[in-house]
Amino acid sequence: MLPRIADSLSFLYLDMVRVVQDDTGVCARIQLDDNRTDTVHIPTAALTCLLLGPGVSITTRALTTLARHGTSVICTGAGGVRAYAGILPDSLTTRWLEHQVAAWADPHQRLAVATRMYEMRFGEDTVPHATTLAQLRGMEGQRMKALYKLLAQQHGIGRFRRNYHPDQWHQQDPVNLALSASNTCLYGIIHAAVLALGCSPALGFVHTGTQHAFVYDIADLYKADTTLPVAFSLHQATDPEQQARRKFREELRLIRLLPRVIHDIQRLLTPATATATDDDSDDPTRYDVRIVHLWDPKTGTLPAGVNYAPDGT
Amino acid sequence: MPSMLVIATTAVPDHLRGALSRWTTEVVPGIFVGTVSARVRDQLWDAVTEVVADGAAVLVHPAPTEQGYAIRTAGTRRRVPIDFDGLTLMRMTAAPQQPHLAKNKQSTS
Repeated sequence: MLPRIADSLSFLYLDMVRVVQDDTGVCARIQLDDNRTDTVHIPTAALTCLLLGPGVSITTRALTTLARHGTSVICTGAGGVRAYAGILPDSLTTRWLEHQVAAWADPHQRLAVATRMYEMRFGEDTVPHATTLAQLRGMEGQRMKALYKLLAQQHGIGRFRRNYHPDQWHQQDPVNLALSASNTCLYGIIHAAVLALGCSPALGFVHTGTQHAFVYDIADLYKADTTLPVAFSLHQATDPEQQARRKFREELRLIRLLPRVIHDIQRLLTPATATATDDDSDDPTRYDVRIVHLWDPKTGTLPAGVNYAPDGT
Repeated sequence: MPSMLVIATTAVPDHLRGALSRWTTEVVPGIFVGTVSARVRDQLWDAVTEVVADGAAVLVHPAPTEQGYAIRTAGTRRRVPIDFDGLTLMRMTAAPQQPHLAKNKQSTS
């Protein structure tokens, strides 16, 4: 029995190791200086997201086991900053992908989802009816500015400027480093949640033009509550990236982010049936599809494995 | 509030087993399971660490971590808990190299 995605451990970051499949499972081999190798077994089935940093090599067998357990594997930069590529488990229902694509492909519905995303960030029922997306974007920009200012004040930092230059990574101030590191962890978790539902990380409603557009859309819903306060609290940290990951993990436990993400994505994509999904929220969100259906313009879906020849032969 | 603990011991003195069995059940040789308060757990663990000498022991108990448990070890053994930014996994350290085997091992690994 696979664990529900909501029950899983959030993420594991590895670097400078070799990940292989052995007799008992997937393990990380750590090469010591003097030709000795230590082994760490990885709880593949209990893990939602594996972040592979620089210097990791992984075998196909190990990747296959991870994919079979629906663990998303993400290639990241040092310390988990930047997500370069993600690997999609294949045995998933397309139910949520279809909802996502239907909403994305229809400009009216797409705008409605984008509006709902901004509403979620501002709080329910705070956005006047008929506010344009441009106005919402403006409101969001102001809100972030105010939030940066408030957090900087709370932590006694004179002036904060969001600064992201991967080429000058180590010259940045601790808040920026911590924010980038924890944002990437957040992207990893969101990516995992998106993949776990079978949605496409690429089809965003607010963001567009990147393979992670939908991941950025969803991650933005939680930054004000999660990564920003953590990053600002680390303004005097000596190792802000690692401490951010650690604190962020503690935050995750407190707010139980994954089930919330799953529920929020479902609610964003299908507001009308949100109450219906509440009923089966105890069900595994990962439905293993054993039956393939055929599409029909009139009836919707038809069972496959049936011969539809007119005379039945 | 009392919570469950598991203590696994290897090669510890008999008197320690006696002390542990006052609070816990030895379900298989060397494995003690019980439900005790945090204070008793700490005292039992202090008793274990004091007398462990050449033996080894590990304590697992519920903790408010993402995993839901914490691991403490005493004595030396090849499996050591290591921390991956808040997630504890076990690291199987390489076998200590013996001079007459070192050459042999290199060729096979």
